[in-house]
Amino acid sequence: MKLTTRQLTLCAVLTAMALALSYLENFFPLSLAIPIPGIKLGLANIVTLFALYALGPGQALLILMARCLLGAVFAGNMNALIFSVLGGVTAMAVMIGLSRLKGLSVYGVSVGGAAAHNCGQVAAAVLTLGSTAPLYYLPVLLGVSLFTGALTGLIAACLFRALAHTKLWGA
Amino acid sequence: MRRFGALLAALLLAGSLTACGGAAAQEMQTAQVFAMDTVMGLQATGGETAEALAAAEDEIYRLDEELSRTREDSAVSQLNRAEAGTSVEVGAELYDLIARALAFSQATDGAFDITLAPVSSAWGFTEDAYRVPAQEELAGLLAHVGSEHVHLDGASAVSLDQGTQIDLGAIAKGYASDAVAAIYQEHGITHGIVDLGGNTWVCGGNLKGEPWRIGVQDPARAGEAEAYTGILRMGDGFAVTSGGYQRYFEENGKTYHHIIDPATGHPAESGLTSVTVVADGTVGNGTMCDALSTALFVMGEERALDFWRSGVYDFDLILVTEDGRLLVTDGIADRFQPDETAGYAYEVIS
Amino acid sequence: MRMKSSPKLRPNGWDGLAAAVVLVLAVACAALVWTGGGQSGPLTAVVSADGETVDQVVLADLTEPEERTYTANGCTLRVTFGPGSAQVTASDCPTQDCVHTGKITRGGQSIVCLPARIVIQLEGGPAADSGVDLVIG
Repeated sequence: MKLTTRQLTLCAVLTAMALALSYLENFFPLSLAIPIPGIKLGLANIVTLFALYALGPGQALLILMARCLLGAVFAGNMNALIFSVLGGVTAMAVMIGLSRLKGLSVYGVSVGGAAAHNCGQVAAAVLTLGSTAPLYYLPVLLGVSLFTGALTGLIAACLFRALAHTKLWGA
Repeated sequence: MRRFGALLAALLLAGSLTACGGAAAQEMQTAQVFAMDTVMGLQATGGETAEALAAAEDEIYRLDEELSRTREDSAVSQLNRAEAGTSVEVGAELYDLIARALAFSQATDGAFDITLAPVSSAWGFTEDAYRVPAQEELAGLLAHVGSEHVHLDGASAVSLDQGTQIDLGAIAKGYASDAVAAIYQEHGITHGIVDLGGNTWVCGGNLKGEPWRIGVQDPARAGEAEAYTGILRMGDGFAVTSGGYQRYFEENGKTYHHIIDPATGHPAESGLTSVTVVADGTVGNGTMCDALSTALFVMGEERALDFWRSGVYDFDLILVTEDGRLLVTDGIADRFQPDETAGYAYEVIS
Repeated sequence: MRMKSSPKLRPNGWDGLAAAVVLVLAVACAALVWTGGGQSGPLTAVVSADGETVDQVVLADLTEPEERTYTANGCTLRVTFGPGSAQVTASDCPTQDCVHTGKITRGGQSIVCLPARIVIQLEGGPAADSGVDLVIG
């Protein structure tokens, strides 16, 4: 993938923002208190969502992978990598698919992404624990993703509106 | 407008961060503690669960060491070892507990007594070496029994008369349940069970939003599981049971249980087989329930119910009598469901 | 603004549909995972010493009695697991309470040996009829 300097800079800034949001979430390590994936807001999904529309799937995936890798390195916790990658990639795949549907607004895409993110994390937990016990939490997580997804969708919508008149994207 | 949008986004972000703390999936966390000669079960959820359970465990071990009569280095042992009549600095906590114990002795006309230690040792209940002591031996020991042989000196010192020993075993678990209840409250536990070997405190009801269901063991079927006199529904509160069936030995076809009547020096023969004292969940009531369950077992049906009616302390009772009656005071009658299969004649007392 | 693609910014009926799909998924998932009400897996004996789980025996899978021994804190317990039951058949502990407890057969029941600090607890299986949260006395 060949990136212009502008694109590269934007990717870097968005990666940094995503990392900052993930870091914020680490103050509430619900999923780490018990070795079971807990409820996460998925704030970094705002960046993924934004990048997906603004820069396209390729660069959004690039940002996602950089965020997961750097996040794990910064946290010094490589075990968390599988959680964030599986959650992030599942969410990304679902959001790419949903964003192609003309009817859906940013809210629907975001809710789908949040639900997928939780599914991915539960899958990661099932894999790492070698137990199906985390599945027990999936219904709750899915229910909560309606709320968190709508919230990140709202924030993303606000962002799009706020940035609609800037020349940030212009050539 | 754009600034407003950004501000809104920032506010939502901050708000949602705080909101997600309460959304944790609810499941009871448990801990098991071996202390005070029993196995204790702690359950909790909500608030700082892990911290609360760890703190509770530490506190129970600490109290076990402080209050045990069989540990040589405990504060109680130091007091018992001291020369008769000398004031021993026991610290504010033990002083207050002894003061409360003496007050319970007074209120129950000596049916509750922390100076019974030498007598219960003579029966072998302290050392697990059971025997039936001779009458003269008991008479000699009983001379040193009674709350009048314990003296509170100043603000934190206690002295004992010649031959008097104290044992807080009949109140220690209740006191520990108060301490754990306080720890649960400090850590914001929303649903919890503290079961310290028959001394229980519950809070918040179960996760389905209903009161906890507490089975009261049928003393006639002591060894059996799921053999209840009835089920008590309680969201928040203390419940403590004392019964002769909990610890006993047999010799020459006669059964001797561990609840000694301070008046005779023999296992209490009051016509009751089990006494359950129930009170609201206010910290402090655990100690009261523990002391009263023992005292009322010794006092027997009539005196126990008179004591309840006197209103000196605020509590309710579930009594099981030798002649097959199940008596429940009216304060909890609407929350108590007798088990018909147990075969007791059920009476509500007012 | 020149984005790769510009999103719709107002929620509409299609979003409601997406949310409904997630909700249906959650409910279906709940029905799948949480079924059985009181049943939480097959009847299993969990043996712990000093609070640490040392052994698990799925009683529902046993066809004939199986004997195992556990040693902790200087005491040795011989435990017989049967199809749907557990019992301490012999112990060299001073109190013998664990032996006196007899056979336990239902989820929630337990055998405790204080001197050994061993607890054998049954989990799962059909919910007990009485549905009691704890027992006093």
